[in-house]
Amino acid sequence: MNNMFKGQYLLVLMTVLFIIFAIGCAPDEAPVDDGEPDEEETTDDNGSSDEEATDGEVSGELEIQYFVGGYGDSWWKEVIEDFEAEYPGVEVVEHAGANINEEMRSRWVSGNPPDVVYIDGAGSSETQMVEDGQLMNLTEWAEGVELEDGSPLLDSFIAEPSTYDGELYSLPLVFDAWGTWYDMARFDEHGYEVPSDFNSFMSTMGDIQDNEGIEPFVTTGQHPYYFSRGMLYPAFAAHGGNELLADIIQGEDGAWETDEAVEIMENVQEMVEAGYVDSGLGALNHTQSQMNFLLHDNAFIPVGFWLPNEMAGDTPEDFQYGFIPSPMNPEGEPMAIVPDLRPLAIAEEAANPEAAKAFVEFVYSREYAELFSEHTGAIMNLEDVDLSNNPNVPEYLIQANDMINDPDQVQIYYMPHPMSADLETPLSDSLVSLLLGNLTAEEFIEEAEEAAADYRGE
Amino acid sequence: MVQSKKQKYLFLAFCLIPTFIMFSIFTLYPLFSGLYYSFFEWSGSSQTREFVGFDNYTRLFNDDIIPATIWHDYFLVITKVIGIMIMALFIAVALTQLKIKEAPFYRIVFFFPNIMSVVVIGILWTFIYNPNLGLVNSGLEAVGLENWTRPWLGSETWALPSLVLPSIWAGIGLFMLLLMGGIANISKSNYEAARIDGANEWQQFWHVTLPLIWPQIKISILYIVITTLNGSFIIVQVMTGGGPNNSTHVMGSYLYQQAFNQYNFGYGATIGVMILVISLITVILLQFLLRREKVEY
Repeated sequence: MNNMFKGQYLLVLMTVLFIIFAIGCAPDEAPVDDGEPDEEETTDDNGSSDEEATDGEVSGELEIQYFVGGYGDSWWKEVIEDFEAEYPGVEVVEHAGANINEEMRSRWVSGNPPDVVYIDGAGSSETQMVEDGQLMNLTEWAEGVELEDGSPLLDSFIAEPSTYDGELYSLPLVFDAWGTWYDMARFDEHGYEVPSDFNSFMSTMGDIQDNEGIEPFVTTGQHPYYFSRGMLYPAFAAHGGNELLADIIQGEDGAWETDEAVEIMENVQEMVEAGYVDSGLGALNHTQSQMNFLLHDNAFIPVGFWLPNEMAGDTPEDFQYGFIPSPMNPEGEPMAIVPDLRPLAIAEEAANPEAAKAFVEFVYSREYAELFSEHTGAIMNLEDVDLSNNPNVPEYLIQANDMINDPDQVQIYYMPHPMSADLETPLSDSLVSLLLGNLTAEEFIEEAEEAAADYRGE
Repeated sequence: MVQSKKQKYLFLAFCLIPTFIMFSIFTLYPLFSGLYYSFFEWSGSSQTREFVGFDNYTRLFNDDIIPATIWHDYFLVITKVIGIMIMALFIAVALTQLKIKEAPFYRIVFFFPNIMSVVVIGILWTFIYNPNLGLVNSGLEAVGLENWTRPWLGSETWALPSLVLPSIWAGIGLFMLLLMGGIANISKSNYEAARIDGANEWQQFWHVTLPLIWPQIKISILYIVITTLNGSFIIVQVMTGGGPNNSTHVMGSYLYQQAFNQYNFGYGATIGVMILVISLITVILLQFLLRREKVEY
C-alpha cells in the first residue's frame, strides 16, 4: 500500500511540476521581439491611434506619473488644478511620489502605462524608455505647439530637447543644471576669491586648505555620477565643445584619449594629489556629502539646482548658497553649463493621448515657468522668463538665471541625450578610484576606453 | 476506529496540496520564470524582449566583476560563520553553564539585533563608521590611535571587512538561542560523570557539550551560509551600494544593479541562476563536510 501511495503521490507531484514549468516557460501576452520592427507599433508615429478621443475632444481620464524629489510637488498640484479648471471634462489621476518610477514599472511592462510621464528620479531613464519604444514620437506634433504669445514652443526652449536619430520623444520641462556650490557668507568672511576657471579654482582651494585645514572639495562616492555630470561634463564642454561631449556620452572610440579629455583627467588627478578632495568621499551618499558641505567640513560641492530645496531643513541660518558653473574651464574661456533636462513625455500606448497632448501644451507657459521657480527654486526650460523682479525667487537663482542668459560669462552646451546606465556605471566605478587616489589619470583613461568599447559591444 | 484508505489520502491531500500550491506559486514559479528570463535580453520595464539563447551566460563567464562578487560573498560567508559560531557558542555556554544571575538580561540584549530590520542595522552602522562623526573613528582618536582612523566604508581595501562586524553583530542572537536550546537538553549527569572522571571545564566543553550540540551547530552553519549567499546583498546595498569601485559587491547586489539600475533584467536573471547553482553546490558540499556520526552518551 505504501508503494502504491508513493506512486500516486509522485504522479501528482510530477503533474503539478509539469504544469508550473509549462506556465513558467509559456510566452506571455507580451510580444517577444524578433528583431524586426512591428508594423502596428511603428506606423503610428504621432499617436493618432487613440480610441477614446478620436474626434479630438479633450475629455475623460488622464493619468499623470511624476516623481517627487528635491523640488516637491506643490507646483504640480497647482498646475493640475488649473488644467482641470480649463478642461472640466478631464479627470486627472495623479501617480506621484519618491518611488513612483518603481511603483509604476508593472504598468509599463504590462502595456498599460499612464498617459503623461515626467521622467526624473531613481528608476527612470529617458534613453531606456525610448529604446524600449515606450514613448510617443512627438516630432510632428511638437512643431505645431505654440506658447500663449504665439511663439513656437520648439524655438522657446533654453536648452534643446534630446533627440534620438533626429526624432523627438520628450519635451524638456525642467532646466536642471549641475554646478558648484559654495557658501557666499563664508567666502565674504574669509575673503576667498570665487573661482572662474580651473587655475583660480585650484588657487582658492589652496587658500581654503591653508586657512582652515580642511579638504575643500567633496562629492558623493556612492553616486559618482554627481562628479561626472557636475564637474566632468562641463569640463568636456568647455575644452572640446558639444562634439567632445557627445563623443564621451555616446562612448565613441578614442574620445577619452583626446588631448582635451586627458588634460581634464590630469586636472582631476592634480586636485586629488594636492589633497583638495575629501578622502572620505567613497563612503558618503549624496545627503551625507551635502551635510558635510553645510557643516563647513568642505567648501565646494557639485550638485544641481535642487540642493537648497533638498537641504532646506538642515541649512544653518547664516549659510548663503552661492552657485557657479563648475570652474573646470581653461583660463580666459567662458564657463560651461551642460543642462541636465528633466523631460515630460507621452506614453506610446497612452489611453487618452488627446488629453495628454492638451496637458503637455498647457504646462509650457511663461506663467507656469515663473511659478515653477517660485515653488522649486529651479528653472523651467523656457526662455525670456523674467525672474529679476520676483521677490519669491531665491537670490542664487536670479544670479544663475542672469549668468545663463549672458553668453560672455557662461556658454551653454548640449549633450545629445543622457548617458546610458550601461556606460555610466563602469565609468563611475573607475572615477571613484581616481578620486580616492587609487588610480592615475592614465589608468582611468585606459579603463574608460575599455568601458566604452564594452558599451559599443566590441 | 480504523481510518479507511480513502480518508487517509483525503487527510494527506488536505494537508499537502494547499502548501504545495503556495510553494509552487511563490517558489517554483519565480524559479522557473527566472530561468526563462535568463535567455532574453530585456530591460525589465518594457513589453518587448528579445530571445538571445545563451548570450547572457556567455556574458556571465566574461564579466570581470562576477568572480570578485563570488569571492566577496564567500569572504562574508567564511568570516560570518567563524565569527557568529565562536561568539554565539561562547555566549551560549557562558549563559547556560556559568550560572550568571543576569543571564535573562544578556539573552535579551544579545537577541535584540535580530528583531531589528537589516536595513535599520545597515543605516545604524553607516553612522558608526562615518569618517567624521562615527563612533569607530572617534573611539580610536580617544584612545590615541589617530593613525588607525580611516573612511572605513569609503576605502576600497577596508569596506568589505567593515561589513563583517555588523553582519556578525546582527546574527549572534538567533544562533545563541539555538545553541542554548541544545545545551539545555544535555543531561546534567553527563557533566557529573565527566567531573568524577576528572575532566576540567574546557575538557567538558570539548568532549561533552560540543559533540552533543553538533546537530545544532551544523544547522546553524548551513543557515548562515544560505542566508549569507541569498541575503547579504541587503547590508551591502544599504551600507555601500557595492562600492567603492565594486569592492563590496556581492552576487545579489550586482544582480540588483544589473537588473534595476542598468536595465539588464535578463542578465540579472542569469546572475540569479548562478546564485542558485552556487548555493546548491555549497550546501551539498557542506552537508558532506559536516557529516558526522550522531553522538549519544
